[in-house]
Amino acid sequence: MNLKPTIGIETHIELNTNTKMFCRCKVVVTEEPNISLCPTCIGLPGALPVPNGKAIEYITLLSLATGCKITRKGMFHRKNYFYPDLPKNYQISQFDLPVGESGELEIILDGKIDSVEIERVHMEEDTGKSTHSGTGRIDSATSTALDFNRSGVPLVEIVTKPVIKSAKEAVAYIEELRQLSIDLNISEGKLEKGNLRFDANISVAPQDSNELGTKVEIKNMNSLRSLERAIDYEISRQTKAFLDGEEIIQETRHWDEAKELTSSMRSKEGSADYRYFSDPDLPNMILSEKFIEDIEKNLPKLPNEKRSELMDTGLALEQANILGKSDSWIIELYSEVFDKTKEHSSTYNWITGELQGQMRKLDINFPPEWFSAELLSEIIGLIKENKISFTSGKTILSEILQKNITVDEIATENDLYQENNEEKIVELVKKVINDSEDIVQRIKDGEDKLVGFLVGQVIKNSGGSVNPGIAKELLSKELDL
Amino acid sequence: MELKNLSIRQLNNLFIEKKAKPSELYSDIFDTSANSESLLHAHLTLFEEKNIENAKNSDNRFENGKSTGLLDGIPIAIKDNINIKGELTTCSSKMLSNYRSPYNATVIEKLNKENVLYTGKTNLDEFAMGSSTENSAFGLTKNPWNTDYVPGGSSGGSAASVSARSAIGALGSDTGGSIRQPAAFCGLVGFKPTYGTVSRYGLIAFASSLDQIGPITKNVDDARIIYNSISGHDSLDATSIDSKQIKIPFDKSAKIGVIKELMEDGISDESRNEVNKVLQGLKEQGYQIKEVSLPLIKLSISIYYLIAPAECSANLARFDGVRYGLRVEGKTSYEMMQNTRAEGFGDEVKRRILLGTYALSAGYYDEYYGKALRARKKMIDEFSNIFNDVDFLISPTTPTAAFKAGEKTSNPLEMYMSDLCTIPANLAGLPSISIPTGLSNENLPLGVQVMSKPLTDLSLLSFSEIIEKEVDFNATPEGFGK
Repeated sequence: MNLKPTIGIETHIELNTNTKMFCRCKVVVTEEPNISLCPTCIGLPGALPVPNGKAIEYITLLSLATGCKITRKGMFHRKNYFYPDLPKNYQISQFDLPVGESGELEIILDGKIDSVEIERVHMEEDTGKSTHSGTGRIDSATSTALDFNRSGVPLVEIVTKPVIKSAKEAVAYIEELRQLSIDLNISEGKLEKGNLRFDANISVAPQDSNELGTKVEIKNMNSLRSLERAIDYEISRQTKAFLDGEEIIQETRHWDEAKELTSSMRSKEGSADYRYFSDPDLPNMILSEKFIEDIEKNLPKLPNEKRSELMDTGLALEQANILGKSDSWIIELYSEVFDKTKEHSSTYNWITGELQGQMRKLDINFPPEWFSAELLSEIIGLIKENKISFTSGKTILSEILQKNITVDEIATENDLYQENNEEKIVELVKKVINDSEDIVQRIKDGEDKLVGFLVGQVIKNSGGSVNPGIAKELLSKELDL
Repeated sequence: MELKNLSIRQLNNLFIEKKAKPSELYSDIFDTSANSESLLHAHLTLFEEKNIENAKNSDNRFENGKSTGLLDGIPIAIKDNINIKGELTTCSSKMLSNYRSPYNATVIEKLNKENVLYTGKTNLDEFAMGSSTENSAFGLTKNPWNTDYVPGGSSGGSAASVSARSAIGALGSDTGGSIRQPAAFCGLVGFKPTYGTVSRYGLIAFASSLDQIGPITKNVDDARIIYNSISGHDSLDATSIDSKQIKIPFDKSAKIGVIKELMEDGISDESRNEVNKVLQGLKEQGYQIKEVSLPLIKLSISIYYLIAPAECSANLARFDGVRYGLRVEGKTSYEMMQNTRAEGFGDEVKRRILLGTYALSAGYYDEYYGKALRARKKMIDEFSNIFNDVDFLISPTTPTAAFKAGEKTSNPLEMYMSDLCTIPANLAGLPSISIPTGLSNENLPLGVQVMSKPLTDLSLLSFSEIIEKEVDFNATPEGFGK
């Protein structure tokens, strides 16, 4: 029997605000423990939380960007559980009134546009960091080192509906979400730094079933590779269990990167009752109409909008997707050059291929200040008009990236302009034909490929400036081919 | 007359006129506490030494005409659940017996600017949970009027210290009556301001939606002076209100309501008589008085004992031995936390944490906590409606005068009932004051409570002064007053 998997993903994104969610401690990235703390973020008696307006703005931004309905009257809740790195032994989070609800995110799957439905977008504070001695697990550790620098850093949690059907789709979703958080400038979006961490809820059910199977949660992954492998592993584990007639237990499992398998952390029976209740220290948060409008007005161009604009220039989805994920100066450069040249394909190739390739060789992140869309458009235009060869174009680009000179200066200096004057070329052609009787005869006898040799001769005699295409055309004409 | 019996304004005048010095007042207070503390145990920590220097600085400011206001050089006692930087802040709990706060509560920052002298930190029921100060891990406090009796609670140490004249005024905190009830039991004025007008930053939370800091003083004017100093919007407390006071009439045009439900069953004749005495006086002055009914008031204790424990179950979760306070070791982190909490908290605190945890549990939330929230909302509506008709609501502060130590410790429910009249103001966030009016047959003080709508604190204080003048209560506990 063929089973269908259903996956829902919860993603935590660490926001790049200057200060923490409920106190004014700086958010720091450092190995030095416990240097950015105050009474509030280490839960000293009597200290109180005050929300960070910037974080609320960012979360509203993400909610709007994913088309969510904004809850004007949101609420903070306390999520109660004991853990040494949770200073208050409750986490301030949101429960039944999240900032955003019911949205969707456009993704690219198998070269096609698809979308994933979003259930909710809410905010919460991060915990501190525990380092357990020995096995790395709290139950068996003889000592635990605590670092509260991360405690209280604002997080946004985005929960999808159970609509994802494969590991590949899950990866496409995270890629898109990551790009969105970067484009919105609400997060560094660095997976390797743990800026995005995800949990996946996975179940399998028969193809024709309308109900979902028992879900299993895999916690705390932070790379696309582990997400993909963990989901694939879990789907096959559950499928096998289902086909063998074994019961699938509702539980939380852990992805073991080294062993490449998931193992049970705790079952539903042992799961925590978080006793959510509204935080009396944080009265109802009312997001004003104006607050939301202002954010909406300043919404930057979203990845799907960028893609569709790029596709409007003639690019294919894959190209638009790749270019859309580039730094904004690259996308701007593309648009400007395209506006001048109207050549989507060569503009795309010159920017994503030649320009970025040469910059890598030169080890620079940005082109020099004198570089401009005009310069690149000029090169592309000259090639199009057959005034220079493609190879000469590359040479010119390379020169321009290294010194502040004009295209014309380089082309003239290096004699890169092609001779397009037919009269002049006809003279050269005639001369070559006269000087190469043998060859001409052999061509007339059927050795067509020797035309190339004559073209070479024409170019050679011209000092390299003759456009090979025109030379060939005129040669053929003269030889009555 | 001894300085310690005077009001803050009288003292300030003497200081300005150079007829007395803050250091003289302080030695008067210090001598008193030297005697009273062994008898009453009002303070957990006495600051003594530090104050000698501070009092001299106050002397100098008055000498040079550079005093900083009415509270300059005035000795104030601070309940030991309010953080003073560098000082022990124990909440009368074994859990925090060694805890020194690294920061000041906002109210302390404000009093510091006025150069208040702190007498020290006063005893309370552990984490402010109780009505008699018998739940202190460091021993009970006695009532200066009769040491067989409790001073009330949870701000019992604050009330006893003012009553015994070992402080001119005190700060308490009031979650369900913890300022007003001990003030009534000790013959003092106790004022719980509108929720949100005094910052809670640095007050160790019991129930965040109900807690409010306020003064316990000998008279209404002293309460006003302290309130003016400690109130105001605070950006460190998200529940702090950033609005101006509302003025309501307190002269004879004011309309007075007497709450029917708080004059019935469960209220002693003596307590009822005090209210009637005050009403009679007001009537003679020409005030309009009418009986009003607030049926939901009868549910206050039930509502309160779901909401307060639920909030405290989370508020007190931070006491786990990980970062500060008591730590009782165990084999694992969790075992350490469990051992610490088992040993660090007293019975009443544990009782309320369990109650609150249960009320919030999956499957019970709607039936208990959720229902309590809805009932609270309805009660607030009931109060708003009543305040369309009347300006001030009068009732007894407590069902009876102070009870004997040990009398109710074995019966928590009976103990809870002593907050019957005071809890509604916390649930509705109203300003509420207890004014001493007379003595019981056993020569123990009794008080009358007045409430008004939110943000009318100053009008309420003015109206209270009219009652204060009319009843002219000036008895003092034997051996401690004049």
